[in-house]
Amino acid sequence: MNFMKRGILGITRKKGKSLILLAVIFILGNLISGAISIQQATGNVEKTIKERLGTAATVDLDHDTLNNMPEDEWMDFEPEELGVNLIKQIGDLPYVKYYDYSMEQWMGSESIEPYQGEEMDEDFMMDEEDEIPFQLKGINYAPIIDLEEGKATLTDGRVFTDEEIENGTAVAVISENLAAENNLEVGDTFTLVNNVYSYDYDTDEEDIVASRDVVLEVIGLFDPKSVTQESDEDSESNMMFMMEDPYYQNTMYVPNEIVIDETNYNWEETLKADDELAAMMKEEGEDASFEYYEPIYYLNNPEDIEPFREEVLPLLPELYTVISATDQYERISGPMESMSKLAKYVLIVAVAATILITGLVVLLFLRDRKRELGIYLSLGEKRSKVIGQILIEVMVVAVVGITLSLFSGNLLAGQVSDTIMNSDDSNQSEYYEGVYYPELESELTTEDVMDSYEVNLDASYVLGFYGIGLLTILISTVIPLIYIVRLNPKKILM
Amino acid sequence: MILEAKDLNYYYQDGEQRRYILKDTSISFEKGKFYTILGQSGSGKTTLLSLLSALDSPHSGEILFNDEDIKKIGYEKYRRNNIGIIFQSYNLIPTFTAVENVLVPMTITENEIPSDKETVAYNLLDYIGIVKNKADRLVNKLSGGEQQRVAIARALATNVELILADEPTGNLDEEMEQEIIDIFKRLAHEHGKCVIVVTHSNEIAVQSDQAFRLKKGVLSSYE
Repeated sequence: MNFMKRGILGITRKKGKSLILLAVIFILGNLISGAISIQQATGNVEKTIKERLGTAATVDLDHDTLNNMPEDEWMDFEPEELGVNLIKQIGDLPYVKYYDYSMEQWMGSESIEPYQGEEMDEDFMMDEEDEIPFQLKGINYAPIIDLEEGKATLTDGRVFTDEEIENGTAVAVISENLAAENNLEVGDTFTLVNNVYSYDYDTDEEDIVASRDVVLEVIGLFDPKSVTQESDEDSESNMMFMMEDPYYQNTMYVPNEIVIDETNYNWEETLKADDELAAMMKEEGEDASFEYYEPIYYLNNPEDIEPFREEVLPLLPELYTVISATDQYERISGPMESMSKLAKYVLIVAVAATILITGLVVLLFLRDRKRELGIYLSLGEKRSKVIGQILIEVMVVAVVGITLSLFSGNLLAGQVSDTIMNSDDSNQSEYYEGVYYPELESELTTEDVMDSYEVNLDASYVLGFYGIGLLTILISTVIPLIYIVRLNPKKILM
Repeated sequence: MILEAKDLNYYYQDGEQRRYILKDTSISFEKGKFYTILGQSGSGKTTLLSLLSALDSPHSGEILFNDEDIKKIGYEKYRRNNIGIIFQSYNLIPTFTAVENVLVPMTITENEIPSDKETVAYNLLDYIGIVKNKADRLVNKLSGGEQQRVAIARALATNVELILADEPTGNLDEEMEQEIIDIFKRLAHEHGKCVIVVTHSNEIAVQSDQAFRLKKGVLSSYE
């Protein structure tokens, strides 16, 4: 008849009270269980979607803050440039798997034609009169990050060597379709034209004021088709991607130095042709050299985004910020976020209610058993063991109540979340008014987020619920147990 | 001397004034004797018993059990291992059977108890006059006299030498009262226990080996 056996007898011999306590714990347990189920499910969605969104991040001006600046302040603001050293410093952080920074330039050609796409709706065809249809994308990371990340595959030839990147060798990796369109093969050369335009505001006409050829050797061919094949044929997002596809097909990867040279040439010639602009530049002490890099970092894991952000932010110049691919989650996760918040509030309220109600029930039962507790103390039982006995009684009932509510609460959560998501569906906006970062964007939509939502009875939910449930009951029992500590057996028994 | 109280003082603070329940009370008890402490309501006899049973502590003075201060032994430990207490209102656990009530102190004490505790409990109840079929009943299904017998068996369960009883026959009829007194006598004289009974009954006092009278907190021999 030790205190544990007394505890078990306390449950079986006082069936009515045990059932009342069981009912209270079961009802409140359902609330806690439901809330945890929803939290787990939304957490899983966040994890899954963030994994699908990838680990890419970049550093750019904080456009949200800039947009909210007063106009006069905004006009005076001159953003500091990021600089290669800072980009490299960030790239050396342990969270970064690999990184690149690139300059971009658009060019035309008289010898090759842009790829227009196959079987495409006319609406999505490229403008045939576009004089600069080719995008030169500067590369500093020789293996090409887009290939490493599976955005495209190398179908022929090779990627850059470090020497080619460093020396700015005139070589390019172009799309397989563009090569086929122009009968180009690895080892062939082709010529682009870097035209310098002057714009006449009065006549609204553009004139070519200077021009030079850029001859590039094809060293590799890439195929971006693997990306389109992955996406859902019928989805709206796929249409969006198809629209972008011709641009990617006409993108050429070249060493950054090539882009820098051509950009500088373009600026120099522009200034030669525009005295007014040249005078203004001179007045402001700026020369014609122009380097503006867009860095892109790929981190080891999606979980690294936040620590990466925390470490990078202090290094950045004023009004710069970290933008990550996972930021898109906040835009597409509307119903999930509101459900997660609701579940969080329900959980807090349910835990507080459980502590209060169970605490009161236990206290009432203890007062009712004052004499019994006094007897144990008069027989010399340690108060800790009397407390242990009560804890066993409550916790055994709690385990039964929590186990029952584990299943019913989970079931309830599934029903409730379906209702919430359906009712929230109409409120979602597909439009995004912020800055668009193609490197960071994915085709995932709110619908994908909703589709990946599933209330499961998995191990983390079971452990989480038992943990929170039993801890809550423990706290609600410990508070009334102070009553036992203060019990005076003489006053009760004599 | 199994138990000795020296210069016990116990009082209530009433404003500036102290109202003494026990004043410089000294008393000693031997093994193998049946003692009674006689007194009217409010005489301080229950307070004295609560001090001797370590359910309360005196404001001054000391209580020695086998020459050791019970404060040093530890009140809880003293109650657990050295004494058995019997109350006027039995104070049994109503949701337990008679034998389960007797088993409770056996698992609390640190004294050596034979491993087959249940047999010991049944034997004790049988010795006190509770047969097996009654021993398996919930105690609130037993009569007052039977419940008090169970309480006595519980007090003996830890194999202690000192039994303290507060008005043990207060709720019983005369016939049952005599049966309980006979049990106490047997425990003292046949088993060498020291039995101390607090009572207001002269009939019980005259049957004890030694009786004390407590009046207004002052103890004297009962003639």
